[in-house]
Amino acid sequence: MSQTTEIGLEILSEVARISTSTLDLDEILARTIQIVKSKLRIDACALYLIDHEDGETRLKLKGSSGLPEDGAARVYLPLGKGVTGWVAQHKEPLALNEALQDPRFVYFPEIEEERFQSMLSVPLLFQDECIGVINVHTFEKRFFNPMEITLLQTLSSQIAGCIRNALEYRKSQSLLRERTLLYEISQAVQAATKLEHRLWLLLTGITLGEGGGFNRAILFQLDERQSRLSGAMGLGPDSPEDAGRIWSELKTHAGEEFHWVVSQADWDQYKHSAFHRLVTGLEFPFRPQDNLLAESLLHNRQEIVRDAAAHPLVPEALRSALEVNEFAVFPLVAHEVPLGVILVDNRYNRHPINESNLKLFARLASQVTWVMENNRLFKKLLESNRELLSTKELLVQSEKLAALGELSAEVAHEIKNPLVSIGGFARRLRDKLEGLSRETPSEEDLQAAQNYATIILNEVERLETLLRNILTFTREDTLDLKPRALPELIEEVLGFFETEIRQQGVILEKDFSRNPGPVWMDAEKIKQVLINVVFNALESMPEGGRLKLSTGVLDGDQGPLAQIRVEDNGGGIPPEVFQNIFNPFFTTKEGGTGLGLAISQRIMQGHQGDIRVENNVNQGVTVTLYFPLQNADNSTKT
Amino acid sequence: MNTTPEIAKKKILVVDDETNIRLLYKEELEDEGYDVILAQNAEEALAKLEKDAPDLVTVDIKMPGMNGIDFLNKVKEKRKDLPVILCSAYGSFKQDFRVWASDAYVVKSADLQELKTTIKEILNF
Repeated sequence: MSQTTEIGLEILSEVARISTSTLDLDEILARTIQIVKSKLRIDACALYLIDHEDGETRLKLKGSSGLPEDGAARVYLPLGKGVTGWVAQHKEPLALNEALQDPRFVYFPEIEEERFQSMLSVPLLFQDECIGVINVHTFEKRFFNPMEITLLQTLSSQIAGCIRNALEYRKSQSLLRERTLLYEISQAVQAATKLEHRLWLLLTGITLGEGGGFNRAILFQLDERQSRLSGAMGLGPDSPEDAGRIWSELKTHAGEEFHWVVSQADWDQYKHSAFHRLVTGLEFPFRPQDNLLAESLLHNRQEIVRDAAAHPLVPEALRSALEVNEFAVFPLVAHEVPLGVILVDNRYNRHPINESNLKLFARLASQVTWVMENNRLFKKLLESNRELLSTKELLVQSEKLAALGELSAEVAHEIKNPLVSIGGFARRLRDKLEGLSRETPSEEDLQAAQNYATIILNEVERLETLLRNILTFTREDTLDLKPRALPELIEEVLGFFETEIRQQGVILEKDFSRNPGPVWMDAEKIKQVLINVVFNALESMPEGGRLKLSTGVLDGDQGPLAQIRVEDNGGGIPPEVFQNIFNPFFTTKEGGTGLGLAISQRIMQGHQGDIRVENNVNQGVTVTLYFPLQNADNSTKT
Repeated sequence: MNTTPEIAKKKILVVDDETNIRLLYKEELEDEGYDVILAQNAEEALAKLEKDAPDLVTVDIKMPGMNGIDFLNKVKEKRKDLPVILCSAYGSFKQDFRVWASDAYVVKSADLQELKTTIKEILNF
């Protein structure tokens, strides 16, 4: 086997080892350079990778051996520039025994290239795309032979895949960290209740390190009348020492910086920081062409300022307060409503502000927008609600009054008849007694007098009942809700009618086998309803019949319903009467108020339930009461 | 107080669904010297009309079944000249055109004087 082939195989197995053991870019580059050094007789090696930062494509020196380290760290060149750039552009190796003489050569003093006479430059190709360049240098003049070139090419073609994977891995890791941070921030913001706390969380996220974090963040809020932008919150170190201290603390919690920061007690301590107090003293008019903040907000346009001193729209007050030359401004606009701006800078570490680190910032800034907008809308909603509630109260009141107006005609009628009787018989009684004072009363006279008095009393009682019913009908429906077991309630009501049931010869049937369990109700009112219903049933069977009471459960549209059924076989209700049974004051009974079922309906509706009457003419009537089955903490309202 | 004239007693048919009102009217009108027949609803009243041939009818407006106004119209169809007095707790019907067929409209009151006077006027006319 030729030596070339042997070395070639060794290189391949080395690369295979690398590719299966690591995804770390720096490690891969270091080991690659190791291979180059060990397999080729050279004095220095440099590995460049293509970099797309800020929209510019450049070759950056990422790894080296035999070159001054800090110098190497700063070297980069555009595609096409220098030998390296040429190789990257043309995707072809270049062997130069007199590198310095070549017209394409570009001198980099940082890496002291004058020391090396010859260089071999080989492109790193991945699927036909150049991802970097490997350079090797020798002090002495060297004519690189085809074997050496082949070996370096072999290495570069194999390692390109690994490097590519490592680059992708690095990118996805960074994305993952960014997403995780965003998620953590979101969760924290959702869990927070106060607007101020939420804003603090978001601004904290903006100022944290890790690819996107800025040193300081300021929130300017636009007032209601849209006339001024005032500093509302400022987060960031107060001094370089403060900044240094924070960063070293953050380093010890690398990977979970946000979590650590927000788990610190007393988030609202930020209010005492010098920076925040400085910020709250800042205020600018919301006028077009007056200042950059207003401009950014007005036109809903992000702004990056590179030279604050020279910028015409940066107010002196802002510049001197910030003491930086470079900063970025992001407008907060929700549904075309301007809310404020966020300003960020890198006062302490002087990192440049560019498009890539503004992306995460933009995401967090829009969260600030929505948090503020939500709060604003929520406040408006609360106010609307309050207004609605009081309007509703007024409406209910006036409805009641209107109903009362209607009622009074009916009521007048209902009261008139008893009054006529009372007045008429009272007069007769008086006349009779006057007559009796002159004569001896006869048996008939006394009887008549007693009859008159009795009639008067009966009518008065009737009036009292009427009044009581009317008051029940128009009174505030406040319910005193407690859980009650249905069978027990029904038994109580049946107890009232024990005598009538026995005397009328009514057969009583009870079926509580399907028991829905305790139901939330105002027991007194529901008893009233049941008494009314049972009374009607018994009244329809004066000579006996069957009365059945049962409980059950039903699946309603809006959840399960408990039900009580009262069935009789008293012949049913005539159709023309049936359609009026719920009308107040409609009655077929002498002395009846007609209010019983109307009130019952009101009571059931107040419980968010219902009362239904099934009428089987010539057979009987079934009345069913429905109650929604709700959880104990979900009591019904009026 | 109770003077009974020696002429043929006039017969009045009182139609009202309330027992005590019927009783009151009966006693008061009998004191005035009339014969009083009672009916508790329109159907019964129509039957008694045929059977007992009253000279005047007083009828309540609001009753179960046929109301007083429909009863009035039925009566007037059969016997145009039979006086019918509408007697109601409601005052509002007085302006209703449907009551114009009646001979009089009296609003019920504890003081029956108005009713008695109206009856007297109609029967002695």
